[in-house]
Amino acid sequence: MRTTTRTRAVALAAVVTLGASALAGCAEDAEEPGASSGDGGGRTTLTVGVFGVFGLKEAGLYDEYMRQNPDVVIKQTSIERNENYYPQLLTHLGSGSGLADIQAVEVNNIAEVVATQSDKLVDLGKTPGVAESSYLDWKWRQGTAESGATVGLGTDVGPQGICYRKDLFKKAGLPTDREAVGKLWAGDWGKYLAAGRKFQEKAPEGKAFVDSAAGVMAAVTGSYAERYYDKDGEVVYKSNPRVKEAWNIASDFATSGLTAKLQQFQPTWDQGYANGTFATVSCPAWMLGYIKTKAGEQGKDQWDIAQAPKPSNWGGSFLVVPKAGKRTEEAAKLAAWLTAPEQQAKLFAEQGSFPSASAAYDLPAVADSKNAYFGDAPIGKIFAEAAEGAPVQVLGPKDLIIAQNLADVGMLQVDQKGKSPKEGWQAAVKAIDNALDQ
Amino acid sequence: MASEYRSEYRAESEYPAESEYRAAGAGVAVPDVSGADASGAERRARERRSRRYRLDMRWSPYAFVAPFFLFFAAFGLFPLLYTGWASLHRVELTAPGDMEWVGLRNFSRLLDDDFFWNALSNTVTIGLLSTVPQLLMALGIAHLLNYRLRGSMFFRVAALTPYATSVAAATLVFVLLFGRDYGMINWALGLAGFGHIDWQNGSFASQLAVSTIVIWRWTGYNALIYLAAMQSVPADLYESAALDGASRWQQFVHVTLPSLRPTILFTCVVSTIGAMQLFGEPLLFNGSAGASGGSDHQFQTLGLYLYEQGWVNLHLGRASAIAWTMFLILLLIGAVNWLVSRRLLKNEGAAS
Amino acid sequence: MSVTKSGTQVGRSAPVRVPWGRRGLGAGRHLHGGRWTYAVLIAFTALSLFPLLWTAVAASRTNTRLAQTPPPFWFGGNLLKNLEIAWTDANMGTALLNTTVVAGSVALGTVLFSTLAGFAFAKLRFRFKNLLLLLVIGTMMVPPQLSVVPLYMLVAELRWTDQLQAVILPGLVCAFGVFFMRQYLIQALPGELVEAARMDGAGSLRVIWHIVFPAARPAMAVLGMLTFVQSWNDFFWPIIALTQNGSPTVQVALTGLGRGYIPDQSVIMAGALLGTLPLLAAFVLFGKQIVGGIMQGAVKG
Repeated sequence: MRTTTRTRAVALAAVVTLGASALAGCAEDAEEPGASSGDGGGRTTLTVGVFGVFGLKEAGLYDEYMRQNPDVVIKQTSIERNENYYPQLLTHLGSGSGLADIQAVEVNNIAEVVATQSDKLVDLGKTPGVAESSYLDWKWRQGTAESGATVGLGTDVGPQGICYRKDLFKKAGLPTDREAVGKLWAGDWGKYLAAGRKFQEKAPEGKAFVDSAAGVMAAVTGSYAERYYDKDGEVVYKSNPRVKEAWNIASDFATSGLTAKLQQFQPTWDQGYANGTFATVSCPAWMLGYIKTKAGEQGKDQWDIAQAPKPSNWGGSFLVVPKAGKRTEEAAKLAAWLTAPEQQAKLFAEQGSFPSASAAYDLPAVADSKNAYFGDAPIGKIFAEAAEGAPVQVLGPKDLIIAQNLADVGMLQVDQKGKSPKEGWQAAVKAIDNALDQ
Repeated sequence: MASEYRSEYRAESEYPAESEYRAAGAGVAVPDVSGADASGAERRARERRSRRYRLDMRWSPYAFVAPFFLFFAAFGLFPLLYTGWASLHRVELTAPGDMEWVGLRNFSRLLDDDFFWNALSNTVTIGLLSTVPQLLMALGIAHLLNYRLRGSMFFRVAALTPYATSVAAATLVFVLLFGRDYGMINWALGLAGFGHIDWQNGSFASQLAVSTIVIWRWTGYNALIYLAAMQSVPADLYESAALDGASRWQQFVHVTLPSLRPTILFTCVVSTIGAMQLFGEPLLFNGSAGASGGSDHQFQTLGLYLYEQGWVNLHLGRASAIAWTMFLILLLIGAVNWLVSRRLLKNEGAAS
Repeated sequence: MSVTKSGTQVGRSAPVRVPWGRRGLGAGRHLHGGRWTYAVLIAFTALSLFPLLWTAVAASRTNTRLAQTPPPFWFGGNLLKNLEIAWTDANMGTALLNTTVVAGSVALGTVLFSTLAGFAFAKLRFRFKNLLLLLVIGTMMVPPQLSVVPLYMLVAELRWTDQLQAVILPGLVCAFGVFFMRQYLIQALPGELVEAARMDGAGSLRVIWHIVFPAARPAMAVLGMLTFVQSWNDFFWPIIALTQNGSPTVQVALTGLGRGYIPDQSVIMAGALLGTLPLLAAFVLFGKQIVGGIMQGAVKG
């Protein structure tokens, strides 16, 4: 008898649960769907969808906005990795549902979003309080569609320096002062390679000059205007001498044994920081926090930052407002506020994300900023110089895929599997050809 | 002799019940006739009851399978058909509504697609590396668990805990354990005097590492399934086998294994399907490097390649074609599996 | 009793063959395990538990310590801190509640549907039976990665985005469950039992209630547990259908945990631990009932 009772209870529960969830569906169906809705107090809830730690929340910007606008509640959705975030964003845009009121877009995806999704996005250029002149010119243009609508407002950019370990440089007989280090390779990526060779001659056992060949390649590529696409939107990476130069320099690093043979953003890379197994890494502004966390206490006072051989940019993001949202006007207002120079300066001070609003560079929070972990380096000055010197990059819709395959397929084979640069290049080209072919 | 018992057992249990039902239906009809002297109202009531009964008999099987197929039509069949339709088009994830007819091109191009063949061969290799040891070990463990043991409950529950761990959590841990420079496994290998193995870059090493995660998660689960089946083997089969002088090993081979055959077939089918669709482990084993399955695509499985085409390269049409090809390959394997097991059954039927 | 004696003979003969060694009469389950049986099982258990244990160790350390060699073997002092970060950052309270509702509904619904359909496929004959069964098995072979796009379009059309039924209802299509119940009932449900009930004039509902359900109970328990676990750990579809602010499941909540540009391994490990612990606790609490149910049903079968 006990058995039967229990089975009955289980079955009953099943039916009840199913019924309940179906009913819940009906009930909620009747309501206004969509990500944003008003709550009981008549307040407006705005949602912001970001990937990774975007920093807006962490820097206290939401709290500040909510204090200034007591009728607004801001909630954030975050997905750890852009590779998961971006396809989902596209799916949601395609169906016009499941979207947050404001969505973040990574720079490597912005060209594709602007080209294919701009009809689904609000033109933020017309939002009151948004002034084109306060942004870096190139950042503004990247977020603007052919129709002239500015659908993406720039948040941060990724001007790069070279982070280096003073202790390892000293042991290898290289200068440790950041001005002198900067002069070692100023103006020429080839000099960076030469410095590496010099370092490796006297380097302590088991220490490499640079973390990965792919990191070098990304930095070199980032210092040129044309990378994978030309101005007419043609894919030119195969014949572009700049890309070839970056490839060759990075290959030289790998084949000369100057790298620690790591892959960036993998646990092994983190461990390399923790154990100080490499002396330099090209570091965009947003990476300083990363290094600090990963290298930890032992790396304190060892790391410093110098100018890169050439001004270069790596990474950065945008905010877009989907038209499918219920409160696009309020959302646009919030997006404009979040990307205004003052807020970007705060973001930099708190999170290290470097402003794309050039008007922020003169604000004391940026101009006088120093980083204690990196030997009090004047990072505001270093990155502002790099940002203003960095070329206006020509972006293309498949930048991310091309960059990723060059790095994670081609260069990684050369660096970690000991394939020849030619084999690596062919493997990368083959993968990219396959990836671009619809 | 053992097989004699078994076939009898199967005959009893596997016989389709329809003939029984027909007999039952006839059985009901009988009192209908014999009740001729009963009052008219009573007869009508009985007729109504028996009509309802016949209706019940006829339609209840459909009613039983209906809920499943209803949900299946909405959430299984529709996506499948949509995917089939998409596979004949050029469709990008950036604009899923914008389709351009390309016929079978997405399929025919797979023939020269080195990445597809690479993924297929990786899938088969990893599938064999993970499934075969996993099922053999599970069978052994189940046999041991079938003994009367102290703390048997502990062993059983413990064997299932890996299954309770999500793919994400499990893979995260194993990535750390398999680390090249500071992972625990290389550290232990170092202690034993071996050199470090690059678990991520080596072709075979990375496939072995991915297989290890699969084996770890599923062995205990399969052991429990086998154990459940072993428990339901009637004791008298063993007794009569033992009376005939069969050793323990012979009993295992001639009684346990044949009785487990439906279960073994079941786990083989499920594991094959799982191996063919292997996805989460190789994806996350690659850490942040996306769906390429390593710099040389050395552990990119079909599931991962499909994901890369659809969700990284955004080519929905091409990805759909890969999905359907996977589906067709599995159907082919299933058909072969079915033919072979049918053949085996026949042969054995002839033997006994 | 001879059984017990043979258990002590284990040490003498060649180790591996011993379990099958000359043991005399009786089925496997009446025999006591020998020393080697325990040795193998203990080794297996250790291997099964170690990665989980090490997850906890990793979650109790700092990120930096995880990157050092030799790797940490024992707990450090950061467990509570990391758990707390993971709990607050990932909105774990809501997530756990939602996941329980989702996994519970999916498990109960699947068990019910699968038992009904499995019974029909195992013991009844009807038109298109084989065709439908093929369809079920075929469904198991559809790679789940791709149905996501059409499924999402459907869910968006129904305006279910970010509501739990978007995850529950598609979760009920469990061809595996139907196949599983069919395989089980073929063996465990004697045809003459059904026949006898039919002779007595029992309708379908009574047959289901009084014969099929009791006979299927152990398998239902196992299937329920398997589906529950599966549904609990599913992440691919939920992260697309649900959001962290709306009604996240645990796996959805965990995707927000990684610190993006600065992922902290020990916090991620703590999150993974938080997501797994409820299941482990359930296993410890109900594992006995589940395994017990299997034994009970098996003896009857």
